[in-house]
Amino acid sequence: MTLVVALMAALLGAAKDDGFGPYKPTPLKLSIPKGWPKPNSDIFAKNKLTEEGFELGRKLFYDGNLSKDGATSCGSCHQQFAAFSTYDHDLSHGINNTFTDRNAPSLVNLAWMTSYHWDGGINHIEVQPLSPITAHNEMGETLENIIAKLNADSSYSRYFKAAFGDKAITSQRILKALAQFTGSLISSNSRYDQWKNGTLKFTPVEESGYALYKANCSSCHREPLFTDNSFHNNGLPLNRFGDAGRQRITGLSSDSLKFKVPSLRNVQYSVPYMHDGRFNDLDKVITHYTSGINYLQPTLDSILQKPIVFTERQKLELIYFLYTLTDTSFTKNKRFAPAQPITIKH
Amino acid sequence: MIKRILLQAFAIVAICALPGKLTAQNGKLILKFVHLANEKKIIRNDSVYSTPNGEPYTISKLRYYVSEIGSGKPSRNIFLVDAFGPDSIEMKLPAGHYQQLSFLLGVDSLLNCSGAQDGALDPLKDMFWTWNSGYVMFKLEGKSDSSHADLNRIEQHIGGYKGENKTMRRITLNLPEKLVIDQKKTHTVVIEVDLDKYWNKASISANPVIVIPGTLAKRAADNFPLMFRVKSIL
Ligand code: HEC
Ligand code: HEC
Repeated sequence: MTLVVALMAALLGAAKDDGFGPYKPTPLKLSIPKGWPKPNSDIFAKNKLTEEGFELGRKLFYDGNLSKDGATSCGSCHQQFAAFSTYDHDLSHGINNTFTDRNAPSLVNLAWMTSYHWDGGINHIEVQPLSPITAHNEMGETLENIIAKLNADSSYSRYFKAAFGDKAITSQRILKALAQFTGSLISSNSRYDQWKNGTLKFTPVEESGYALYKANCSSCHREPLFTDNSFHNNGLPLNRFGDAGRQRITGLSSDSLKFKVPSLRNVQYSVPYMHDGRFNDLDKVITHYTSGINYLQPTLDSILQKPIVFTERQKLELIYFLYTLTDTSFTKNKRFAPAQPITIKH
Repeated sequence: MIKRILLQAFAIVAICALPGKLTAQNGKLILKFVHLANEKKIIRNDSVYSTPNGEPYTISKLRYYVSEIGSGKPSRNIFLVDAFGPDSIEMKLPAGHYQQLSFLLGVDSLLNCSGAQDGALDPLKDMFWTWNSGYVMFKLEGKSDSSHADLNRIEQHIGGYKGENKTMRRITLNLPEKLVIDQKKTHTVVIEVDLDKYWNKASISANPVIVIPGTLAKRAADNFPLMFRVKSIL
């Protein structure tokens, strides 16, 4: 028996020797910021977070080869300086001069989310990339082609081996590695966080803004993640695409015009706003809440039935508070940046 | 590392070197699916069939998941049956005398929401919805003059794994004779899949395309148990 085991071990060892040395991934721990709840979905339970998996995920995230035209990487629409949204674009550019159907949201604190996309149609972070990869107006590619292209790119063998133990490139490994990268995009070091931790003081204006936020916005944009992970109708009129949001997924008319509450973290950089990017500054967003709400919509959230009234000064105070959610240590974190410059379409 | 090697080595030893014990209780079984429309074996694209209410159609694709095979204790095996590809599946089952054969048409709920899968569930197989996560349990495609969809297409992508809208169905089939599973002989159970029954209470002109979970998909799934019957045991 001992001999058999030794022999097996030797055989296995020999079979795995591909010149890249032994498989020794460095485990990483998803660090949960102080005072935050546990992540909702234990996304790394079956996808062990490692430095090597994260690095492979980062390389894939910024690789245009995941798209048909070789230039539309995840990172071309999810730009780090814009908190991983598409800066200054209501809709983003896909391949062949197409536009996305919706505004690219920022990618932040995804490990705390229970569903993905504006309508929550995606049930797990690992399967999310299938949507942009295959959509004709995003990356327009197939998994078969991507696997073939990555196999032809000699730089990947080392990465797959380091992350997963051998060089094999499979859809599952691509998706798990991408999830290791996107799931690690944590923003928790804004002025607001430092204020909560007692390391700095808010200005009186920011404090008043915070009070206005608490009274009017916090039930949906709930602390500390600034979303309740749920779906609400915040009174926006139906857009030109007839996008009914959550109803598309559940088929229920009671879900008409409900959208997933976006986090307000880094909202200063994730301009323009809402699922179709209809507002190009925060002043317009707040004006929507005070005077743009369509009160005739049957699914309008009950919290918003009572009109919100702000003075001009209060609007500014609220905006100054929203700016405290900006986290430049996140938008400038080198760990999340591409290793080489990438193509971004404008 | 050492633990990993030991585990791998043990797994191999357990499967291929230890006689008796583990394998003694298992036997192999092959299920062969024969797909019929209008009582004829279906042919891809070139044959026109008729639904019970007289709508003509051709078939270009027919694939579905078969899982949890066995009577009593479900096995973890998941297979993708392709009428124009691999239409036989082979599995191990606990040895014994079987009066009935049971399987799940579709994929268990949990596997629909547990992230990226491999094998038969690899999204490469084109059976996973990308914008509304979940597996297509059963996929039938073709054309019909009764279809008002673009290019007269028929696309029946039946899926949905949540609550009310579940579309996986347990199929329990009576066997014409007792099936003995043991190590001595590998039997083949020939199962006929009758597409005429798929169109039970359904109409191509009304719903040529079903590609979302919901009432229509659920109604289509209710026909699954009617479609399967055992032809013979070889
Ligand atoms: C062409 C632009 C584009 C590309 C390329 C793109 N995305 Fe997106 N991304 C979007 C848009 C638009 C949405 C919103 C989709 C929706 O809600 O229907 C989105 C949503 C997301 C979300 C959901 C965030 C949330 O809060 O729910 C994640 C995660 C994400 N993208 C990751 C990726 C990854 C990973 C890739 C590469 C495989 C990628 N994206 C490629 C535009 C893009
Ligand atoms: C009833 C729940 C609810 C309340 C209360 C609420 N919001 Fe929202 N908010 C939403 C939803 C849902 C969206 C996304 C709507 C869409 O895109 O269709 C949203 C979107 C936003 C956005 C756009 C973010 C982005 O990245 O696109 C901002 C900014 C915002 N809200 C700020 C506020 C402020 C400030 C308040 C308080 C005055 C507030 N919200 C109150 C539900 C709410």
